[in-house]
Amino acid sequence: MTTFTTRRFNKDSGLVMRMYFTMLMLGFLYGLFALFLWSINFPIIFIGVIVGVMVGVQYFLSDRLIMWTSGAKEVSRAEEPKLYAMVERVAAKAGMPMPKVAVMDSRVPNAFATGRNPKNALVAVTVGICERLSERELEAVLAHEMAHVRNRDMRVLAIANFLVTLTSFLMTMLFWNMLFGGFGGRRDNQGGVIMIVFLVTLVVQFLGQLLVLALTRYREYGADHSGAEISGDPGALASALEKISGVMARIPDEDLRRLQSASAFMIIPAALKGEGGMNLFSTHPPVEERVRRLRELEKRARMGMR
Amino acid sequence: MSSVIRAESRLRARGEVAPARRAGIIFSDPGDNAFLSSLDAELRPVLYEGEGATRTSFELAVDDHDMHWVILEDGNFQDLVSSTYTVGNAMSANGASESLLAAVFEFYFTGASGDGAYRSATRSYWIYRYDLKAFYPFVPVGDSEGERDRPTEMQLAQSIRKEGVRVESSLEEWLGLWGIPF
Repeated sequence: MTTFTTRRFNKDSGLVMRMYFTMLMLGFLYGLFALFLWSINFPIIFIGVIVGVMVGVQYFLSDRLIMWTSGAKEVSRAEEPKLYAMVERVAAKAGMPMPKVAVMDSRVPNAFATGRNPKNALVAVTVGICERLSERELEAVLAHEMAHVRNRDMRVLAIANFLVTLTSFLMTMLFWNMLFGGFGGRRDNQGGVIMIVFLVTLVVQFLGQLLVLALTRYREYGADHSGAEISGDPGALASALEKISGVMARIPDEDLRRLQSASAFMIIPAALKGEGGMNLFSTHPPVEERVRRLRELEKRARMGMR
Repeated sequence: MSSVIRAESRLRARGEVAPARRAGIIFSDPGDNAFLSSLDAELRPVLYEGEGATRTSFELAVDDHDMHWVILEDGNFQDLVSSTYTVGNAMSANGASESLLAAVFEFYFTGASGDGAYRSATRSYWIYRYDLKAFYPFVPVGDSEGERDRPTEMQLAQSIRKEGVRVESSLEEWLGLWGIPF
C-alpha cells in the first residue's frame, strides 16, 4: 500500500477569521430580520417552509440535479482509466473516500464539485479542460474541487442560498402585493406596513448579498489553499487558472441588451445563479488575485517556510 | 461590414464555417420614431424594389427583452450582408441611429481547432456592434446569460481577424445575446 505525504502550508488564520466573522454577520442579519417580521406578526414561517423545501431539495439532490442540468455523465474506471486514477490519487492524498467521477461533453474548460459531504461527493470535468491542461495542472484542479467538498462548502452555500432566496422571494411577493393590493380587505393601514416591510427586506437583501459574496470569495481562497495542500503543488493550480481563464475571463457574462434596458428586478442574485456546486472559474473572486496568492504559497513552500 | 464577405468565403473554402442564411438587426424602439413605427412598410421598397434589389426576405420580431429585430434571410451570403447593411443605413438615415444595437450573422462553425479533435457544427454568431463599429464572435452554449464557449470564440476571432475583419480588441465589450429569435 502506498502512503502519500501531504505537505502542510501554514494555515491562513486571517482568512479563517474573516470567514467566520462573515458567517456570524450573516446569521446576525437574518436573525434580526426574522425578529422584525415576527414582531409585526408577519407570516414568515409559511414562506420560510416553502423556501426551505426548495433549497433543501437542491441541497440533498445536488449531485443528481447538477448531473441532470449540466449533462454530465458518470464514468467508471473502465471508461476513463486515466481520469479515474487521477481522482483516486487525489482522494487518497486528501484522505477522503472516492467520489463519483463525471465528464461533461463540452469544449468549455471547466470543473466542478458537488455533494453535501465527502461520502456523497461528485467531481466533474469537461472534455475541454482535459484537452487543455497538463496532467499536473488537471490534478491540481481536481485537488481544488475535492477541497471544496472537504471544507463542506456546499453546506455553507446552501445556507447562504436559503437566506438570500428567502428575502428575494419575499421581496417579489411584497412587490406584487403593493401593486395589486391583497392579503384581505383592510388596505388602509396595511399598505403602509407592507411598504415598510418591503424597504427593510430590500436593505436586508442588499446586505445579505454583500456578505454572501464575501463568503464565497473566502471559500474560494480557502479551497485554493487546501487544494494546494492536497496536491502539494500550488504553482500547478495557478498555471491552470491562468491558462484557462487568464484572457478568457475578460469576455463578459452580460447580455448586450443590458446596455439599453436596466433589468427591472433581479429575482435570483447573480452570485448564486442556479448553481448548486462550486464552479472552478466563477469570475468571483478575481482569478488574478487567486493566482497571486497561489504563487505566494508556492514561493514560501519552496523556501521551506511552513 | 463588407469585410465579412471575404472572410466568409475564405473560411467556408477552408471548411471552417458554413453560413446559416440568416442575419438580424437588433434595435430598441423608443416609440416616437415614424420610420420605426411603420418599419415593415418602409423596408419593403428598400429590399424588394428598384434595380439591384436583393429581394432578401425579412420579418420583424420582438424578443424576451422587449428588443426589436429585423430578421433577414438570404441563401446568398453577399446579398445577406448587403441587405443588412442597407437596412441599417436606412434606419440610421431616418433618425434611428441611436436605437441600433447590433447586426448579427449566424454561422455554423465546423472548424478543426488546434487540438485537432473532430466536432460537429456549432452554432455561432458574428456580432457587429454599431457603437463600436467592430465585430466579435459569440458562441452560446445555453440559453441563460453567461453560458458561452469562450475558447471557441477566441479561436473564431483569430480566424476572422486574419481575414481582415475588424474584430473588437477589448474583450470586455464582447457582450452576448442569449436567446436570439432566429
